[in-house]
Amino acid sequence: MQPIRKEVLVEASQETAFQVFTERMDLWWPKSHHVGKTPVVESVLEPGSKGRWFTRHEDGSEVNVGYVLVWEPFGRLVLVWQIDGNFHCNPRIHSEVEVIFSSEGPQMTRVKLEHRDLEQLMGGAKVIEDMDLGWGYILDLYVGVTNKTEAI
Amino acid sequence: MAIPKADHALNALGDPTRRTIFERLAGGPLSVVHIADGLDVSRPAVSQHLKVLREARLINMTREGTRSIYRIDEEGVQVLRDYLDSFWSRSLKRFKQVAEQAERNKSTIHATHPKRSPR
Repeated sequence: MQPIRKEVLVEASQETAFQVFTERMDLWWPKSHHVGKTPVVESVLEPGSKGRWFTRHEDGSEVNVGYVLVWEPFGRLVLVWQIDGNFHCNPRIHSEVEVIFSSEGPQMTRVKLEHRDLEQLMGGAKVIEDMDLGWGYILDLYVGVTNKTEAI
Repeated sequence: MAIPKADHALNALGDPTRRTIFERLAGGPLSVVHIADGLDVSRPAVSQHLKVLREARLINMTREGTRSIYRIDEEGVQVLRDYLDSFWSRSLKRFKQVAEQAERNKSTIHATHPKRSPR
């Protein structure tokens, strides 16, 4: 399956763009009310290679999304998305999100995003035992995410 | 909306045998004989699985002489990909807004205190 490729020109320095994408992910990552048992209060991406990527919930629980594979401030970032059908971090799922930050001026940065290995989320992940139930959760997430963002 | 269609497709992939079949076809078009090869299920069962996958529009079938050739239905699979595509579009739109606001805040701080003059 073709990777998803997105590009956005941001009126900000490369450093700001990278920092907002990572350290301030909580400010722009769409929150969903369908993840886990309680709403998301915060999305967290820990800086540095192997840094955790997770959401914190109202009941205090944390749900892993994946981790940082490549951390090259302020130019490049590769994240691994590892959510299985039951919305738990599953180390056997490996879908990559690569983000390139190219400086085009003191306050101008081109951000290119590629989400690849989508087959893993499509049923290529043999480890997902209960796809029927699991994909329902993930779809709820996407739908929730989309609606929430639209509302904003 | 595309949601019921996507649900349908995901349910179709809920079965391990159907996932295996789908993955085989992801490698290229195959006849029933090749699809069934090595699978621990009867031919009628394979046909049934193929029917479910076709109804979910994950695969389609064409006839070549007497043989039925199955392949991935790109358009049907596209529905799932569209979810992620729209997810990233919306997320990056918000990211752009937040990053630009952050940059403006930085500039404001710099403008207020252009240089810290030595005392």
